[in-house]
Amino acid sequence: MKTDNEAITACRAGDKEMYRVLVERYKTRAYYAALMYTHNRDDALDLSQEAFYRAYKALDSFDNSRKFYTWFYRILKNICINFVTRKRTHNQVSADDENRPELVSSGLNPEEILERSEQSELLWQAINQLKEKDREIIILKEFQEMSYREIAEVLNIPQGSVMSRLYNARQRLLKEVEYLNDEY
Amino acid sequence: MMSTKLTCKEVRINMMGLLDNEISEEQKAALLGHIESCPSCQKMYNDFRTLKKDTQEMKFKKLPEIYWDDYWTQVYNRMERGFSWILISIGVMILLVYGGYEVTRDFFLDPQKPLLLKIGVGAFTAGIIVLFVSVLREKLMIRKIDKYRSVER
Ligand SMILES: [Zn+2]
Repeated sequence: MKTDNEAITACRAGDKEMYRVLVERYKTRAYYAALMYTHNRDDALDLSQEAFYRAYKALDSFDNSRKFYTWFYRILKNICINFVTRKRTHNQVSADDENRPELVSSGLNPEEILERSEQSELLWQAINQLKEKDREIIILKEFQEMSYREIAEVLNIPQGSVMSRLYNARQRLLKEVEYLNDEY
Repeated sequence: MMSTKLTCKEVRINMMGLLDNEISEEQKAALLGHIESCPSCQKMYNDFRTLKKDTQEMKFKKLPEIYWDDYWTQVYNRMERGFSWILISIGVMILLVYGGYEVTRDFFLDPQKPLLLKIGVGAFTAGIIVLFVSVLREKLMIRKIDKYRSVER
């Protein structure tokens, strides 16, 4: 199996088929990352594929000393944010929507995204109530399964501040869960 | 660094490294030592552990295999399409410029008309053509996204 960098070098030399190595390797993570923004299967597929295409076009600007996925993730994130913002301004924004994080698609669609489980649905709701900064770092750690080094790369912050950012985010998530638990 | 006494605040932040397995054995031992002897940090640690466990147990719906099988083809098609867009755009522009010239040929060949006017009209027409092609392209791209949007809800 080719490494990421070997595949990238081959792509730059014009071997399009070699891009497949990267797409097959990261498509699952890319899809779920997009799903965290779109909350909708078809959009997540479309946007993650679009991100692979744009990353391919931008491959010449990729710095080999970095990791492909963290670089790719930033491209994907931009596409998702643009999509969601456009969709939000397009749709009518109700008063209730005002309290929701700005960068997430307004419908939570737990039934389309999660296997049925009360605990999971509650947690899904709690995560999506968080401010974008908190929500994102939790997703990167728990669902994208990134290491602290990778998180630091994606968020462009020093590795030393990953722990305190995570601490704050998790603490607020705990509060959110507690609050929702009391409500039901 | 770890030999000095840790404050509760430091312990709680470093607890993340413990949960995510990102710290050394030595650091682990120091943290666990504090956690065992400090009830409020202990409670916090247990809460965080439960939270992490619950998050990891969240099951996302799997995408049917067929989407995964088709995934690469979809990306590849976009890669191909990107190139064909460039060719189409260039082609359309050449055809329009050529057609435009044919239609206005008499105007351009008329020696009575000043050169400056000819340059002006030429630049104006070329601008309109480029604009037309790029707007057309954008409209087609947006329609693709709208297709999904209308299916939702
Ligand atoms: Zn303590």
